[in-house]
Formats: sequence, structure tokens, C-alpha cells
Amino acid sequence: MNTATFAIRQRIRRVPLSVIVVSTLLLVIVLLAILAPWIAPADPAKQNLLARLKPPGFELRGITYWLGTDDLGRDLLSRTLYGAGVSLSVAILSVVVSTLLGVTLGMVAGWFRGKIEVIIMRLVDIMMSIPAILLAVLTVAVLGPGFLKLVLVLGLTRWPRYTRVAYAQTLQVANLPFIKASELAGAGAARILFHHILPNIAGPVLIVTTAEFGLMILMEAGLSFLGLGIQPPAASWGSIMSVGRQYLERAWWIVAFPGACLFLLVFSVNVLGDWLRDQLDPRSRSR
Amino acid sequence: MSDTNNVLEIRDVTVHFGGRGGLLGKAGPVVKAVNGVNLDIGRGETVALVGESGCGKSTLSNTIVGLQPPNSGSVRIGGEEVVGADRRKLNDIRRKVQMIFQDPALSLDPRSTIGATIAEPLIVRRIAKGKALTERVAMLLQQVGLRPEHADRYPHQFSGGQRQRVVIARALALEPDLVICDEPVSALDVSVRAQVLNLLVALQKRMGVSYLFVSHDLGVVRHICDRVVVMYLGRFVEMADRDTFFSSPKHPYTRALMSAVPEADPMIQRSKERIILHGELPSPANMPSGCPFHTRCPLATEICSEVRPELTPRPDGALVACHHA
Repeated sequence: MNTATFAIRQRIRRVPLSVIVVSTLLLVIVLLAILAPWIAPADPAKQNLLARLKPPGFELRGITYWLGTDDLGRDLLSRTLYGAGVSLSVAILSVVVSTLLGVTLGMVAGWFRGKIEVIIMRLVDIMMSIPAILLAVLTVAVLGPGFLKLVLVLGLTRWPRYTRVAYAQTLQVANLPFIKASELAGAGAARILFHHILPNIAGPVLIVTTAEFGLMILMEAGLSFLGLGIQPPAASWGSIMSVGRQYLERAWWIVAFPGACLFLLVFSVNVLGDWLRDQLDPRSRSR
Repeated sequence: MSDTNNVLEIRDVTVHFGGRGGLLGKAGPVVKAVNGVNLDIGRGETVALVGESGCGKSTLSNTIVGLQPPNSGSVRIGGEEVVGADRRKLNDIRRKVQMIFQDPALSLDPRSTIGATIAEPLIVRRIAKGKALTERVAMLLQQVGLRPEHADRYPHQFSGGQRQRVVIARALALEPDLVICDEPVSALDVSVRAQVLNLLVALQKRMGVSYLFVSHDLGVVRHICDRVVVMYLGRFVEMADRDTFFSSPKHPYTRALMSAVPEADPMIQRSKERIILHGELPSPANMPSGCPFHTRCPLATEICSEVRPELTPRPDGALVACHHA
């Protein structure tokens, strides 16, 4: 027991500074997103046409707009805070959906081979040959917009990348003697897939997941921009930015602040994911 | 024919690959990896399977453990037919055959502790759990010369020789009757080979397990085997007791293999007759007519390219498939 706690303490001490910084950042973003209704200085949907496109620090009737206002005079700080929750939850949920779906299909294709492999992998090819945004637009056009639908659309259109990675990795791992040994031990397909193959392909999959995470926020932005994602007046970072894009020359702050938040979030997730992948590998854990 | 004292009985086993039309309807060539072989292994016996790479050794061992169903023939383990058995029965029979692989670095899951690895067969087959499981794993670790507290470590924390001990412990967890050792020491440092071989011999004495020892290292074979089988292009070409085999090798292919084994004494080495085989191993997809070895055989005559010699007994008990030897 004592040696275990010691080992944990040792491990924590070896966490690099960059990881501590990005974890703190992530924690702050998540906390701000959760606490938005309590800490936001104003109603994010409340318009004030007298205060359109005002720069950061602008004051009107005793209210300070710390990050300025948008084209309808809404407080940008409040909108960014509320938008964080929307962007984060869309990204997290859709990444979870596509990872679960994609990795399972990839492992199944790589393990069972034969007909099921042909069907799954050709489906992947088909999905990947259609531009993702077009696919998403078509699906939303059929299903209609909405938060849950957005998550489903992103999740159900983004799985092929995971499938390809999981499939290739599974093919590689499945041929290793330790898998054969497991079969000889009497292990069934489910045990081999989730006990032996999944932990051994988790590293590359995690990399895809962190890359996709940022992409999901951008996709959400794109769809919201097209009017197919989050419906106004609700805000997401993507929708704020796509509106701000029109006013870039006159009001840079509309794009700049949510953009900076987005950058920090994606960057943090990538750094953390990279470190996590190393931690998942027992070979890098002990000296 | 069926002798219950035999752990393994193989009759006319044939394994072919390919040939079936693929998605595009083009039929590939049929690779005849194993061509009608017969083999019996008795309880507590060690049989060496010798041959160059590509001769069908690995395919045959995969067939024996049930990972590669044969196209025809019969494989009996402990008197029970494996070929065509349903899944549950197959699983039951398989318990009696385990395998040790060439590269211990690849035959252990890097993400599992070695305790979990050794415990897997016991968990999957619901033989032990909880405290009894921990005890079994500890006992197995001790049997192969490791310490019970090693159970929490990962494979990368061990040396090659130690890893191979773990692999052996896992193979023995189900108390098999037959263990197929696929080049078990060729990936190890020369300095630890003898240790692992001696461990295998000691475990055999204690547990009465039989070994099918797949190898191309005749020095190792001589050290631990009772009987030697030589395989060439999917067929057995010579089968003999160890002493007969090493004192009077008969098949020209066997003799060529023997002459390639270096001797420690330079005097003997220099005086040794060298038989150098010309040409490559023919493709098993395009088998030579007659004797499969005639394309490279120094003794080949006309009959060799026409009639395939069968394994026939010789006065000293050896079985040889050759017209001239």
C-alpha cells in the first residue's frame, strides 16, 4: 500500500510543466462553461442596438463590456462564456460517439476479416470520399437542426477515420504471437478484442481523438454558420465567430476572443492527449 | 491404430492455401504447405521437427493446436479427433495442447502484467479465481524459476530469458499433455539458451508433458529430443530416433543439413564432408514432380523426377523417403 502511494507521488512529480499548465487551462475553461449562468455579467441574448460593435472595455449606463459587443449589441463576454458550454459539449459528445462507433467497427473488421471486413472498409471508403461538411449538411437538412441532432450528425459522420486507424492497428496486433497465445488459452473474440487488442491500439486512436476534438468544434462552427447547427440566439464559439467574420475589419474582437479560447482549448487537448498516450504505455512508465 | 498412450496422432494431414477465387474471381495458385504427413507423439516424448523456413513446420504446428484447420486428414489429441469437432469440444481438446513461441518479446501482451498473462487461461476456462488464482499463478512462477512478486510487473521489465520463462509458465497453466515449442530458444542469447532448455527438460520430468520441438538448430535438437523428423516442402523425408539420426543420417537432405552444423573442433570441422545444396527451395505453389527434393539433390537420377518415394523403414528403424539412400 505504501509503495503504491509512493509510486503515485513519484509519478505526479514527473508530470511535465506543460501538462500541468494545459490541464489547469482545461479545468478553467470547463469551470467557466459550467458556471456561465452565474458569472456572466449580462444576458447573452439581450440586444442593445445602441451599443453595436463596441470595442472591449466599452461602458454604457454603468455596465462595462469587457470584451466589447457584437453586431446586435450583445455582450461578447457573456456570449463567449455561454458558448463555451455548447462548443465543449458538442465536441465531447460527438467525439465519444464517433470513437465508440469507429473503433468498434475497425476492430471487428480487422479481427474477423472476410465479408464483414469488406463491407465495413468499403463503407469507410464511401464515407471518406464524400466531403464531411457536405455529408453533415445533407444529414442536418434531412433531420433538421438541434443540439442532439448536431451531436449525432457529427458522431455518425466522423467515425471512418477512427475505423481506418483501429483497423490498421488491429491487423498489425492480431498477428502477434500473444494474440495466438490468448486464443490457445481459450479466450473468445470479445475478450481478445477488448482485453488485448484495444489496450494495444489505444495510443494511435487517442491521437486521432485529440485531433478530431478540435475539428469537431470547427465543424460545429461551420454548421452553425450555415444555420444548420446551434440556432440563434443561443451562442457557440463557432456561431459567434462566423458572425464576427463579416465585421473583421471594423470589430476584430468578435472573432479574436472566441478564437483565442478555441485555440487554447484545442492546443490543451492536444498536449494532454499526447502525454496521456505516453502514460498509457507501460513501457514509458517505469524506468 | 489408436493407441491411447499417444498424446498426438496425425494421419494424412494436408493443408493447402489459396486457390479459391478472390473477390475479383481470379484464382491464385494453390500453396501446398503440408502434404499428407503422419506423426505420433507418445506421452513424455520429445519429437523434433526440423526443416528450413517455408517447409511447412509452422503450418503443421498451427494445425495441431487447432488454429489452422487441415484440408484433409485426421488430428487426434489424446485419442480425440480435432478435425471437424464442434467449438465446445474443440475448446476442450485444445486445453491439452499449448504453445511456446519463438520471440518472447512478442508472445506476451505488453499491456498486461505477467500475472494477468499467466492467469488468463485459468480465468477464461473458469478453473480458478480470487485467492486460488493468485496462488496458482505464484506456483507457476516458482515452477519456472521466477518469484511470485514478479506477477505485478510488465513484460518489458524482464530479460529475454525471463520472458520465455513466463511464456512457459502460461503454456503450463492448463497442465497440457503436449506443448509445441516453436523455435523456443532461437531468439535468446546463447548464454541463456541452455537455462531455458534445461528448464523445459526439468518440467517434462516433473509433469510428464510431451514436446513437439520445432527447430532448425540441430545442436539444440540433439540436446533434448528423443526422435527427429525432417520436413521438406510439406512432406516428411526422414524420421528416426535421435541416436540413429545423428549417427547415420540417410536422406541426402538430412545429410546436407548435418554437414552445415559447425563443429567446435576445427580439426573435425576441416575434415568434415561439406554437402552444398544448389538452388533455392522450390515454391510450394509449384511443386516439383516426383521426389520434391530432386531439383537440389546430389544423388538425383531419372526415377527421382518421376516417382515420389514414400517413407520406408530401414534396418536400423529409421524411416526415409528416398530412392537412393
